[in-house]
Amino acid sequence: MAWVTWRQHRSQLVAGLGVLAAIAVAALVTALPVRDAYHHQALSSCLPPAARPGCDLLVNHFRSEFGSLAQVGRWLILLPGLALLVGAPLLARELEHGTFLLAWTQGVSRRRWLLAKTALLGAGVVVLAALAGLLAIWWRSPFDHVEGRMAPMAFDVEGVVVPAYTLYALALGVLAGVVLRRTLAALALAAAGFVLTRLGVEKLLRPYYLSPLHQVATGATPGTHARDWVFDDKLVDSVGRRITSAREDLAVVHAQHAGIDAQQYLVSLGWRRVITFQPAGRFWEFQGIETAIFLLLALGAIAFAARLLRRRPS
Amino acid sequence: MTAVLDAAGLGKRHRRRWALRDCTLRIPEQTIVGLTGPNSSGKSTLLGLAVGLLSPDEGTIAAPPIADIGYVAQDAPLYRSFSVGEMLDFARSTNARWDQGLALELLGSRSLDTKVSALSPGERARLALALALGKRPVLLLLDEPLAALDRLAGREFLQVAMDGIAQTGAAAVIATRVVTDIERVCDRIALLCDGNVKLEGPVEELLAHHRLLTGARRPLGRIRGVEEIIRERHSGRMLTLLVRTNGPIVDPTWSVDEIGLEDLLLAYMAPEELPTPQPPDPWRLRWHG
Repeated sequence: MAWVTWRQHRSQLVAGLGVLAAIAVAALVTALPVRDAYHHQALSSCLPPAARPGCDLLVNHFRSEFGSLAQVGRWLILLPGLALLVGAPLLARELEHGTFLLAWTQGVSRRRWLLAKTALLGAGVVVLAALAGLLAIWWRSPFDHVEGRMAPMAFDVEGVVVPAYTLYALALGVLAGVVLRRTLAALALAAAGFVLTRLGVEKLLRPYYLSPLHQVATGATPGTHARDWVFDDKLVDSVGRRITSAREDLAVVHAQHAGIDAQQYLVSLGWRRVITFQPAGRFWEFQGIETAIFLLLALGAIAFAARLLRRRPS
Repeated sequence: MTAVLDAAGLGKRHRRRWALRDCTLRIPEQTIVGLTGPNSSGKSTLLGLAVGLLSPDEGTIAAPPIADIGYVAQDAPLYRSFSVGEMLDFARSTNARWDQGLALELLGSRSLDTKVSALSPGERARLALALALGKRPVLLLLDEPLAALDRLAGREFLQVAMDGIAQTGAAAVIATRVVTDIERVCDRIALLCDGNVKLEGPVEELLAHHRLLTGARRPLGRIRGVEEIIRERHSGRMLTLLVRTNGPIVDPTWSVDEIGLEDLLLAYMAPEELPTPQPPDPWRLRWHG
């Protein structure tokens, strides 16, 4: 089976290596000025920005200069989706062209055929994705120091979640292929499924892998959370009810009319700011949990595909 | 003789229609069986069940393990982007037992570097056959192998097939709509109609036990030597009967003729009643023959 897999998918492997190489070159070229500026301005001694005088300015300058580059780097989030292009045709193309009649009537059972191919291709895409994940860690390290890597779009392009997402994309493609039996349709369905699961996990599960921390601030400066993932920042009254922004605005206007400091006025009302966040230090724990989730999803998709394959095509 | 393939009460449903129903058939060792019947009579379904691509809804089918079956599906599906040599590599890496020498011999002189997409239909069919026989199977299943071939390519294909079958000692089932194509090479004929076997037996025996009787129109009673009247046709004052015999027919009022295989099968195929038209089934799978 190794030879068959290699023969049928070698062009995809070459394309994958090409994409990785192109990204590596782009990363190398764009990372140099960032690292240069970072070391030159000794930003590492500047964090948090209040560490020494003038640091605020330096960090802001760094942000304004390289912020757009960091934005571009976020497109790496799409990289695992490329595995859909490997997974979707795996079964769909054989079913579409009728070659399954040849493939599954040789000495290798249908089940072994699927598992061998998926395992080999899975290993291939996982290696490529792991390299991409490492590359992203290196490329983003100056940004990570400034803005952290806990928040989505940074968390999602670094480390071990990248191979896990990639393997899941492959598995989902395979499953869609056996369900729909058409490559293009399978690709579309798997892509939709992939985006939905990724977003679903990110929005609904990830904030609560470990119970989030809350910071209650009564004063003006709530403390810095530059590198944490802040996903809720709200104003509550003395009994803990949320204050709408309209009410907050009204209170501020009221304070200004009365000629008192708005912040002090809010404090005097007993209003507090509650910030809900996941601290930067939990990065690897979160990576581990999210990786486990997507590996399980990938295994589930493959097991389901193997089950469907046993009953189909019939 | 032991059977290589043994189907008993076999049934397979496609949606609501039975593609195969109550089908009983034994394929003896080292025998070449022509499996014939009209379109969607269940030929491909039977082969699909034998090779394990389908699983039966009723009854049982005992067949060799897939490693011991050489199967060529209709239209001989192959990987178009592979070269001929790569197709052989494919078969070698997916089969524990593989006879490269036999496959090369059956393939003839075709260059191994030619792409499958550049082959003529005849060459494609021959490659598919070489792949199936290179497994040294005990059972070879060919589904409409001649449908895409012209007469010359068809003859050549059959010659190669017979050569390979002789070398491997395999039994073979050749499914075809056109029995004249394979009549020469078959030991036995099985006729499938509406999903079950209407007629089965060695070719000579079938021909020896059927006769055409022609005579003046008359009320039909028992005729000595006739076991069963299969079909009767009236034309004017003449009456023609196709009968299965169980002895010599001596009645001088009948003129007795032999019948060819094709006419015999056609007579068995002809429906007893007018067929009820059925809407085309959009879910028809590609291996319905």
